[in-house]
Amino acid sequence: MTPASLRGWRLVHRWTSLICSANLLILCVTGLILVFHHEIQHLMGEELDSSYTEGQARLPLQSLVDIAQKADPALVPKLLSFDPEDKAVNYIYLGKPEERGFDLGRWVVLNGFTGANQMLKQPEETLVGFLLKLHVDLFTGFAGQMFVGVMGLLFVVSTVSGLVVYGPFMKKLAFGILRFGRGTRIGNIDLHNLFGVATLVWAFVVGLTGAILSFSPLITGYWQKTELAAMTARHPEPMTGPAVPIDQVAAAGLAAFPGKDLAFIAYPGNEYAGSRHFSVLVRGHTELTQRLLSVALVDAETGVVAEAAGTPWYMTVLMLSGPFHFGDYGGLPLQIIWALFTIVTGVVTVTGFVVWLKRPRARSASDRTASGTKLGSKA
Amino acid sequence: MSGGMSGVWRIPAALAVLSTVGLAAAILGDGFWDWLCWATLSVPLAVCAVKLWWQRPGQSAV
Repeated sequence: MTPASLRGWRLVHRWTSLICSANLLILCVTGLILVFHHEIQHLMGEELDSSYTEGQARLPLQSLVDIAQKADPALVPKLLSFDPEDKAVNYIYLGKPEERGFDLGRWVVLNGFTGANQMLKQPEETLVGFLLKLHVDLFTGFAGQMFVGVMGLLFVVSTVSGLVVYGPFMKKLAFGILRFGRGTRIGNIDLHNLFGVATLVWAFVVGLTGAILSFSPLITGYWQKTELAAMTARHPEPMTGPAVPIDQVAAAGLAAFPGKDLAFIAYPGNEYAGSRHFSVLVRGHTELTQRLLSVALVDAETGVVAEAAGTPWYMTVLMLSGPFHFGDYGGLPLQIIWALFTIVTGVVTVTGFVVWLKRPRARSASDRTASGTKLGSKA
Repeated sequence: MSGGMSGVWRIPAALAVLSTVGLAAAILGDGFWDWLCWATLSVPLAVCAVKLWWQRPGQSAV
């Protein structure tokens, strides 16, 4: 590498890191706690009621929708969402009859076996909700979420540029050398280099998947406006009569993809469905295949599948970003490993900042008179 | 990044391979795959801990 390009990479590493460092610290602290959100929700009594007796049958979806609608009879069902990990938890979105989006209505959470209605608390009212909001959008909604996404991309660039400048710096140094006796700057550089290079792949993956998740409204919005819209446009017939029961719709969707589970059902007339077709989204049930979605359009008047398709690669990338960001796909040991990596990343962030604070100043007249190296002379 | 630089990259590259294998393993299955994930992802953390412990401030220089 030429000295000029190395200087360039150093600048890239310095500035991408500096810009995202404050946000990154917030992400590390909140993320460290959020890794254990299930355990915390359990301790705080904030978890959803997913109890049912062994062998108990699920309630028909129509019963669940009816129960949900009692919560607000002026609203109509728009979307059902099924938790892949917890079969008892069903989310039902109710919206105004003319609403196509998902902004003006409300979510109802029901136990799918008992029908017990569980009020969703506002995020600010629970510890996990508060931390998650801080983590995802800094309490500033969509704009904040995009901001955090851009910070995530800067962090990714910072890990790559950090790797590039690591090589030349370590040329004459042993791996993992920690010279704590040589002053604040050198001690911090060494710790930053060791912790940074050892956890680089993890940091890169978690940073990149975090950025992808931040941009999820744009990614799903793109899919909805392109492939899904093209699919529903091929079936433009309007509703003329009553719709078949929702359970028949679900069964038709599942029959189009044998062996899959329900993920979402969107009612006709909202932006994720046709004018008279339900969208039934299904997924597999292994750690990997539960992230792969497929969609069937089901005619609301006949209960017949009009068209079935997979989802494009970028939706799979988005869905797979979840586990690789949350660390929730390998049990409690992986959660603990995730937390430790988060702590190490926090140390890399702080030590990197200290290295910048203690940078050697441009030589002034007084420095030039002082003999010896300024670097690392302070204890 | 070859020749004279190869020594610099030997351990970081090994840790990167272990991390990649570990991250991928647990998504592929349970049981064995989970154990593979925990074992390989622990190595970079252990390296950090061991290096820090042996060179902690106050230790005489090795």
